[in-house]
Amino acid sequence: MDQHVIQVNNLTKSFDGNQVLKDISFTVNRGDVVAIIGSSGSGKSTLLRCLIDLEQADGGTILVDGKALIENGVSVSPSQIKKVIAPMGMVFQHFNLFPHLTVRENLELAPKLVKKMKQAEMDAACERHLKQVGLFDKIDAMPKTLSGGEKQRVAIARALMMEPDVLLFDEPTSALDPELTGEVLAVMQELAEEHMTMLVVTHEMGFARGVASKILFMNQGVILEEGTPEDIFEHPKHDRTRDFVSSLSNKD
Amino acid sequence: MDYFMTVLLPMIGGLGVTMGIFLITFFVSIPLGFGFTLMTRSRFKIINAIAEVFIYVMRGTPLMLQLLFVYFGMPLLPVIGPILTFNRFPAACIAFSLNYAAYFAEIFRGGLLAVDIGQYEASKVLGLSRFQTMVRVVIPQMIRVSLPSVTNETITLLKDTALVTIIGVAEVLHYAKAAVNRDATPFAYLVAGLLYLVINFVITLVFKKLEEKYDF
Repeated sequence: MDQHVIQVNNLTKSFDGNQVLKDISFTVNRGDVVAIIGSSGSGKSTLLRCLIDLEQADGGTILVDGKALIENGVSVSPSQIKKVIAPMGMVFQHFNLFPHLTVRENLELAPKLVKKMKQAEMDAACERHLKQVGLFDKIDAMPKTLSGGEKQRVAIARALMMEPDVLLFDEPTSALDPELTGEVLAVMQELAEEHMTMLVVTHEMGFARGVASKILFMNQGVILEEGTPEDIFEHPKHDRTRDFVSSLSNKD
Repeated sequence: MDYFMTVLLPMIGGLGVTMGIFLITFFVSIPLGFGFTLMTRSRFKIINAIAEVFIYVMRGTPLMLQLLFVYFGMPLLPVIGPILTFNRFPAACIAFSLNYAAYFAEIFRGGLLAVDIGQYEASKVLGLSRFQTMVRVVIPQMIRVSLPSVTNETITLLKDTALVTIIGVAEVLHYAKAAVNRDATPFAYLVAGLLYLVINFVITLVFKKLEEKYDF
C-alpha cells in the first residue's frame, strides 16, 4: 500500500484565542522534500512543531506512518506519542546543541540512552555522520568553539544518529550569518539527493525553488497554495503568493 | 606561643563540631533544597504551595529564632513535643539543614530558569525521557549557573554555624568566648577568626575547581 509518511487532516490550533492554524490538510510521501514558506506569523513553525508534539493541536488529525498522533483533536496516550514521533528528527533554528557535551557526546547521548546502541556501533555512526556534514575534525570540540554554521551541521548529524525516516527543519538558517547559510543548505541538499524525507520551514527561496519537490505556501493560518516549485514560482494562482515570492526572490 | 596553643587547642576540638554542623548541613540541605525546587515546578498546585510556604517561612524568619524553636520550642509542643525533642547537636543540624534547604531551593530554581527551553525540546525530539533529560541535560547546566551562588551560600553557612553557641553547642566561637572572658584579652577572637578564614580559603578553592570543571 502506498502510504503517506505524514498525513494531516483539518488541523487547527489557537494560542489564547488567536487562531494560528485554520483547517490545515496536506500529505507527505516518502522521499518528498517539502518547503513550507510564508511570512512570519503565518503559522508555518507552529504547524511543524505540532507534527512532533512540541505543540498540541486543538483539532484535526495527524498520522505519521499511518499511526495517529492526534485524531479528531484527541491526542493519543503519552507512551503512544513517544512511539509515533520516534521516526522523526528535528533541526531547530537555534541549534539547541547540549553545551556541556562535546560534539561526539552530543551525537551519542540519545543513541546510548534511547536506543541502547553499542559503543562501537555508535562510534562508527558518529564518524559516518560527522564526515557527512564535513565536521569529523571537530569530534572532540565543545559546541561553544564552533561557528553557527558548524553548530547547525552538528545538529543535523545529531538528528541523523537516530536514523529518522523524516527530518523536520524549523528555519535552519535563520539564525546564521548570511555567509554561513550555504554550508548548511549544501548539507540539506545532499540529504535531499539521498531521498531523505524532509519538511523545511524556510525563508530561503533559492533552496525552496531548487531543492524542494513540493511547496506549501502558508498565509494567515491556511495553506493558500500548494504545488511544485514551478507552480508556485512561475505560475502562482494567488496574488498573495506572487507578491510573497517576488519580494523574497528579488533579494537573492 | 604557649598562650596561642592554650587558646588554640580547645578551639580545635570546637572546630570538629563546627565542621560537623557545616558538612552535615551542606550535604543534607543541597539535595533537600533541590527537592523543594522540583516541588515548586510540580504540576500539582498543592505541592507548589507546600514548597512555597516552606521557603517563605524559612527565609522570612531569623535563623537564630529557628534554632531556638527547634531546640527549646519543639519539645514544649502539645502531644508531639516528646517526639520532637533533640540534643543540642542534632537540633542545630536540623534547624540549619531546613533553613539552608530553602536558600538552595531558590538558587537552584534560578539555575533551572536559566536553562533554555530549546534544551528540553531537543531532548524530547531525540526521545529522551523526562528523567534522562533532567539528569543528563538540564542539571549539568543548572549546576554551572548555580555554582557562584552556591559558593556564596556555603561561605555564609560556615560563618552562620557560630550561631549555635546560643543553644550551648561547644563549637569554635564558644571556646573563643570562654578564653576571652577568662583571660580578659581579645586574642582568642582573632584566632577564631583566623580558623574561619582558613576553612573559607579551602572552600573557595574547592568551588573554583568545580567552576573550572563546569566551564563549558
